[in-house]
Amino acid sequence: MLDLIIKNGTVIDGSGMPGYRADLGIKDGRIVKIGRVAEEALEIVDATGKIVSPGFIDPHTHFDAQLLWDGCAKPVIEHGVTTIVPGNCSLSLAPLKAEHRMKLVGMFNQIEEMPYKAFEEGVEWNWETFDEFITRIKKGLMINVAPLVGHSVLRLWVMGNASMQRVATDAELVELQKLLSECLDAGAIGLSTSFVDMDETLQPVPSRYADMRELQALSEVLGEYGRILQIVPEFYDADLTIARIDQLADLSLSYGITTTFSPLFVNGDNLEGVNRTMTRVEEQAARGARVWPQVQTRPIDISFSFEVSSLLFFRLRTWYSILRFSNHEEVMAAFKDPDTRKALIAEATPMNPVWGSLILRQVKSEENQKYLGLSLSEIAEARGDGLVETMMDLSIEEELQAHFLSANLGHNNDTKVAELLNHPNVHIGASDGGAHILSFSTYGDTGYLLGHFVRDKRLLTLEQAIKKVTSDTAKIWGIADRGLLQTGYIADITVFDPKTVDRGDEYFVNDVPGDGFRYVRDANGVECVLIHGEIAFSANSGYTDSAKGQILSGQAS
Amino acid sequence: MSLSTQRKSIYPLAEDDWNSIVARELSNLAPEDAVGQLQSWNLHVFMRPAAPKDSPRVGNPILPGDIIFLEAPLT
Repeated sequence: MLDLIIKNGTVIDGSGMPGYRADLGIKDGRIVKIGRVAEEALEIVDATGKIVSPGFIDPHTHFDAQLLWDGCAKPVIEHGVTTIVPGNCSLSLAPLKAEHRMKLVGMFNQIEEMPYKAFEEGVEWNWETFDEFITRIKKGLMINVAPLVGHSVLRLWVMGNASMQRVATDAELVELQKLLSECLDAGAIGLSTSFVDMDETLQPVPSRYADMRELQALSEVLGEYGRILQIVPEFYDADLTIARIDQLADLSLSYGITTTFSPLFVNGDNLEGVNRTMTRVEEQAARGARVWPQVQTRPIDISFSFEVSSLLFFRLRTWYSILRFSNHEEVMAAFKDPDTRKALIAEATPMNPVWGSLILRQVKSEENQKYLGLSLSEIAEARGDGLVETMMDLSIEEELQAHFLSANLGHNNDTKVAELLNHPNVHIGASDGGAHILSFSTYGDTGYLLGHFVRDKRLLTLEQAIKKVTSDTAKIWGIADRGLLQTGYIADITVFDPKTVDRGDEYFVNDVPGDGFRYVRDANGVECVLIHGEIAFSANSGYTDSAKGQILSGQAS
Repeated sequence: MSLSTQRKSIYPLAEDDWNSIVARELSNLAPEDAVGQLQSWNLHVFMRPAAPKDSPRVGNPILPGDIIFLEAPLT
């Protein structure tokens, strides 16, 4: 008697080979039979007309905090994702001494836009070591988690405040190596670091104070364990990105490690830079270095209200300082104060093309409902006022609950993005899942890949797209027994309808601890998701109470 | 496949500032112009927000983790 059979589906096994009609038999969490399965089973999933593929792996997320209150990391499983990698960009929630908790919360708030109140009301701080954190999140875990340990956090533990001021001493380097070893022993899949991120005081995060000898010392440990190094390079500049690729290549060759950097964006003004970057990746790969750029599938869009600071205003110093460091009443007062208002208008006016194309997506008041779905240009014209003035006035009228969408800000050249997604040296990732929850929805990138790029634009084959987000990812990260549909492999499986699979519309939902909100998307066309042989989600009945998620520590290849 | 020529850069040493990098790496440049040129090639560092007043890094924006270019962008 089998536990479960998936019948009559088209199996696309994650290898890149063409799909074929077959049943899958599952027993004790593993695939035990592929073909015509005549045996009986406790449960049958009818996949007629559907694709049966390995569960998707998302290698760049920030679900660290959410996993403390939600072992499903909703809504990623319903998008077909069965494994997530949190702890990117030098930030993980462990190891963490009690005295550093608020410092780390500040960094998560600044870098990943995770609200303070979510930490206050959603987190019981009952761990310090990485091992204790893993024990903590294992309870009720539905999704598989391959956690990175953050370099900034390691430095904070070993060096305290000096981690934000100087390089490590020789003795501290030994301590950092020892601590990294302990985290890898406890289940970390690798180390993340960042060369761009800033903390809540807009000062560089601790990882940026590490010199090359510290990176070499930590890479030496990664090499001993066969684990991966993830970095955030200065992605806004091709020369800097190329210099980072060379740095990663040297570390890869010296210590035998796999490295990955994220993100690599395509924008209208950097096509030549992207081409140069990829040429360098190819050159370094030819030397035998393992340097994997991560490319996200979705275009960049940002939603915002003035209730919280937004990435969109990061380069406008007056705006950003008001939005970042003021409370609700102070922002309202700033928008009403004639002098401040004048300064804000002057600073923002050069970006009028951006403001004019904003779409008003949500308001509370009855009188402004008529503007929903219109561009700010249209609204400003109707009200006979300027763009920036209209944006502020609508926000005042809505008590800062006017929500605007800036769509297609970049990474929206389908042909070029698809060229990258298809590239043999490119790793599909960089979703940022679980982060920036008040700016955009980081869920549904695989639906966008399969719906937009595969079905609608025909820029990738279905087999190639699935391979990229399953077996390729598993190989790069050293995740064993997953990423392929083969006998003996763990039954992490996604069943979806190729005719309808896609990401759903983005919407704002009040489901974050501390009465908080976030932007999310539902999935379209995902019928059923299995994790370790059990149904975790089905379109018909939603999430189950399965808790088969595992910690995957890996051996990077 | 050999490595193509890229813009020359270094990783700074722990206590490096503009002057020490010029002295070590750019002795071929006229001293009165060298620091300004080095800064112009590294606006990602030069334009960085100032460190807090109580930081030991006040007056020196260079971080140990930076990439420092030693020449202008290649054409």
